[in-house]
Amino acid sequence: MLLAGTVPSDDLPLVVDEARIENGSIIAGGHRISCIQGSGAMMSTALIVAEFLKLPPPRIVVAGDKGHGRGSRSIYEYLIESLAGLAVETVTLHYCLPDIVRMKRLCESVAKRSGRPVMIADAGFMYAAKAAGMASQFDIFTPDASELAFLADPEATHPAYISRHLFDTGVADFPALIASAYRQNSAARLLLVKGAVDYVACDGGIVATVCEPDLPALEAIGGTGDTITGLVSALVDAGMELREAAVMAFKTNRLAGALARANPATKIWEVISRFPEVLEEHFSSCVRA
Amino acid sequence: MAFLERRQKTSFEGGGLVLFRDVQEAMKGERVLRGADYSVKLVAPPPEMRKGCDLALEVDLVEKLGIERTFRDKDVDYVEVIPLKVKTSELLDIVKVTDFGRWVMVKAGNMKLTFDKNDGAIVNTSGGGCPDIPNLHAEMVGKTLAEAPRPWDIGYSLCALMLDRALEESLNIWNGGERR
Repeated sequence: MLLAGTVPSDDLPLVVDEARIENGSIIAGGHRISCIQGSGAMMSTALIVAEFLKLPPPRIVVAGDKGHGRGSRSIYEYLIESLAGLAVETVTLHYCLPDIVRMKRLCESVAKRSGRPVMIADAGFMYAAKAAGMASQFDIFTPDASELAFLADPEATHPAYISRHLFDTGVADFPALIASAYRQNSAARLLLVKGAVDYVACDGGIVATVCEPDLPALEAIGGTGDTITGLVSALVDAGMELREAAVMAFKTNRLAGALARANPATKIWEVISRFPEVLEEHFSSCVRA
Repeated sequence: MAFLERRQKTSFEGGGLVLFRDVQEAMKGERVLRGADYSVKLVAPPPEMRKGCDLALEVDLVEKLGIERTFRDKDVDYVEVIPLKVKTSELLDIVKVTDFGRWVMVKAGNMKLTFDKNDGAIVNTSGGGCPDIPNLHAEMVGKTLAEAPRPWDIGYSLCALMLDRALEESLNIWNGGERR
């Protein structure tokens, strides 16, 4: 599993290394990376789940970027150069400055591989994939309500430009937005849409919904979408079928939120640290059954 | 020199587009022009000029010379002012407020900011996907609405611009103002 994304730092160079979690931080290439909202939350979630499932340690591709774009560009360039030759089965692309031209080159690099990995994107990489017309090259996108409206908007190249009527449609009619996103080839094969009700859509149709436990506060907590991306990445890498992994990611996220007694002031690490407990319960109940 | 001062605008004709290399410079350009009483609108550049996270300014084309002079005077790094030939996409301008009892969540476009009603402390920010967003999260959470840095000042992206709108609306609510 390869996890790529930027983290907020002025001095973190491009780091490509196997990573591990230590005292609430990600350790890779001799650097300590915080598990806050963004790629830190996505990567730490995937690392924790991978460790629980005894998967090989994930490799991360990370660079410091506070928004100027230099770290983002170094990640793009590394992936463009290396993806064709890397022995990975799951690739997750996360926070970055959206870059339409580099995204097209990245997809060309993936197409050169003999075996295609499961391609997952969220955040800036998902924005770039949609804006570049490359969404159909991906297996999984993990949008929230406004990002779904962005995928459904044929004109928008960033969620800040979505049409007012699509934004208003948002929560009220996820199925209509999902159908629109697929019609325009702006969706990955599988969509995991996070909301009051979580939707799993595949090839244009809704295949599952998850709404329990009901925790409205999760929307306010920075990183609860990132954790879903990390969860589904690790579960897919473990060999789970994509739709099954999607449903389990949503359920695990909600159950961890409930264990953390999530309220709008909860910090994402409080949720992430509960994942082993939720997974333990899930797998032991499978054994009991 | 009052006769040389710009007259207060009553209408916005548009017709011109100012292009920038990045979002942060476009945000600076907007602030400078508004400060000089120009009417401007934040919009997307034409599709063929978009790189992924882009922002331009729609201006009155007849004011091109004055705008260029203002940018030179204020060190705003713009690419060029061109005639606007196609309809622009405007930034999403919708703010939604959710009351969680002790906390209020303000959503502006794709960005959310949540603060504590008791002390105005920012307890979370969420949404977005550009690389300045985790940095803004780290910089803003734990500070009060009044103390927190403005995403407008330290951010670079359209997501930061939306988060700034959420902060502005939160300040408005905190100060007892009317919701938009």
